[in-house]
Amino acid sequence: MTATTQPVATEKVVVVWDNTIRLRVKVVGQGPALVYLHPAGGLLWDEFLSRLAQDYTVYAPEFPGTSPADPYAIHQVHDLWQVVLMYEEALRKLNIGTPVLIGQSFGGMLAAELAASYPDRFSKLILMDAIGLWRDDQPVVNWIAAPPSQLPALLFADPEGPAAKMMFASPADREDAIAARAGMVWAIGCTGKFIWPIPDKGLQHRLHRISAPTLIVWGELDKLVPVSYADEFASRIYGSKVAVIADSAHIPQLEQTDTTYSVVKEFLHLSDRHAPSLVGADS
Amino acid sequence: MKVTYFQQVPYRQLPDDFEKRFESVVTTPYFELTTSENVAAAFREALDELMHAARSGFDGLTVTEHGQSSYDMVPNPDLIESALAYATEIEELPTAIYPVGRSLGKSREPLRVAEELAMIDCISRGRLVSGFPVGLAYDANINNGVPPAQTRQRFDENLELVLKAWKAREVFPWNGRFAQHAAVNIWPRPVQQDPLPPVWITGIGNPRTMQMSIEREFGFNYFGWFGLKVAGRRIFDRFWEEVERAGKDANPYRLGFMQSICVADTDAKAEALYAKHAEYFFRKAVGSIPMERLALPGGIDIRGVEALMRDPGDFGIYDKLRTVTFAELMDAGALVCGSPDTVVEQVTAHAREYRIGNLHAMLQFGSMPHSLAKDNIDLFAEQVMPRLRQLWTDQGYQHHWWPLRLGGIPLPAAADVQAIAAPIGAQA
Repeated sequence: MTATTQPVATEKVVVVWDNTIRLRVKVVGQGPALVYLHPAGGLLWDEFLSRLAQDYTVYAPEFPGTSPADPYAIHQVHDLWQVVLMYEEALRKLNIGTPVLIGQSFGGMLAAELAASYPDRFSKLILMDAIGLWRDDQPVVNWIAAPPSQLPALLFADPEGPAAKMMFASPADREDAIAARAGMVWAIGCTGKFIWPIPDKGLQHRLHRISAPTLIVWGELDKLVPVSYADEFASRIYGSKVAVIADSAHIPQLEQTDTTYSVVKEFLHLSDRHAPSLVGADS
Repeated sequence: MKVTYFQQVPYRQLPDDFEKRFESVVTTPYFELTTSENVAAAFREALDELMHAARSGFDGLTVTEHGQSSYDMVPNPDLIESALAYATEIEELPTAIYPVGRSLGKSREPLRVAEELAMIDCISRGRLVSGFPVGLAYDANINNGVPPAQTRQRFDENLELVLKAWKAREVFPWNGRFAQHAAVNIWPRPVQQDPLPPVWITGIGNPRTMQMSIEREFGFNYFGWFGLKVAGRRIFDRFWEEVERAGKDANPYRLGFMQSICVADTDAKAEALYAKHAEYFFRKAVGSIPMERLALPGGIDIRGVEALMRDPGDFGIYDKLRTVTFAELMDAGALVCGSPDTVVEQVTAHAREYRIGNLHAMLQFGSMPHSLAKDNIDLFAEQVMPRLRQLWTDQGYQHHWWPLRLGGIPLPAAADVQAIAAPIGAQA
């Protein structure tokens, strides 16, 4: 693959929740609006997002508490209902119409909650290895309680590969490295507040409300949320499609960037042209 | 110095290779490793040892709380302590009933905690000392499902509710973030009302926990699992710095310390008798709790995480514990073992240096059999405890963190700030 030129990023601060929370949103690219919701460990800007930013204006909010400048914002956020309302408020205040919504892992659950709560507010929905459902026979691994040394093997098909190295890259400076590691631990704690101890907070009962054309992307070798969960989501979201990415575990956008980008791009363009057939005749 | 007898209820017959075969004390398979006879015996022996200690004149009986763990099978210390409250009352033994570990960050039923403890205070007619740790990660979060980022907030709220429920004269509603009760009016209330039962907070070194304990005139307990000589020094220095910063007096009775101790006629005999039981305990208990079960993301403030990454010294010899030897335990001060003179000398030196006014003596641990535990209790009570008790008596300090019925002296009214709520939601 050819690396895309790193686009210029700006940060917008959206003040929400009765002026108590400053939600930081990274804004990159040009074109129609696309909202990206990051996974539990915080926002990591990657090649996949840079490519999307060639065709879209990507808005990537940082979950409260995961912004290095404001770690204690998490103490103002108390439950999942508030999270959903707060994100809706932020997107409304950004005034970006009906954007594409993409969420990865924890962000996937959040994206599904938003699209279920506000069915008319998103033009398309893409869920990538999302948490939010639960099967007793295939439990979602509790990554928050996992030994940090096991995270690369848990998250990646190839724990030694470039994707894992990128995610766990440690800055050369000792203090920077400590800040990065502590920041990731804290981010996992902040997002964990809303899914502990089991990431099933009733989403299964709300998924039926989603009406945006939906693509469900899953790493075939996902060890954290097994690929069978793709069908669990698909069976509850009417007209949704599943794309399974080979040779990838939990984070296909990092581990198989080309394939992931191409299925996402195809879905976005296809659904532009054929939205009615994807969402069903009665939509 | 006050000297309490400290008890856990360990399973005493774990296999020799336990720490090699099993990831942690938390996931140990119950039916594979235990017999019901041994488990039942563990409770009987622990209760007998506690009563033996009470009859031997200890100032208090301290019991900890650990859910779902093979090294301490006490999911609620109040159950053990209520039995002790009754038995010691019948025998007229003037000892403090001291559940040292009813974790308030773990508890989802704080009113029940308030009621249980009030009951114990009634059964013991005012001998309750109430220990409230914030809560261990594996117990509060893994076992009890509390999100790590909420452990401290629950602790803060639950503590306010317990104290208010103990003393309120009127029925009141409680509309908390975690608990909602339309009408709080617990029966019974503690016998100790003015002041309320002494409250002790257990910490592992977080300065915020120390500050809260000092400001609100609670006692502060520290347990010496990680080695007094390596970790304890840092913790105690920090504590007394915080006391000074708060403008309070350096009264040693503010501070409690748990130490594993074994005594025999000679140092050599003590080592021969106890070394293997000490190794069993440290390897198969604390040593078999992996770090990711002691600390979970969200449970420690981000600045605290950074501080621990810069300097993990508060964890002392924790890294070594799974394979630790008797000699290493002695070097680190995780264990005091020897003749009565040796033990008195070492404990006194440490207590003087760190201004420890309350010693919790852990005299049964790990696989130590009942008869040996009783010998340890006997020799400690006869030849060590009387000499330790002399410490601090000549310095004029009053013990304000002890039941009045057992000689505690109330704080002057102006200093009694227990009733003043600290800001809830101060960050963990």
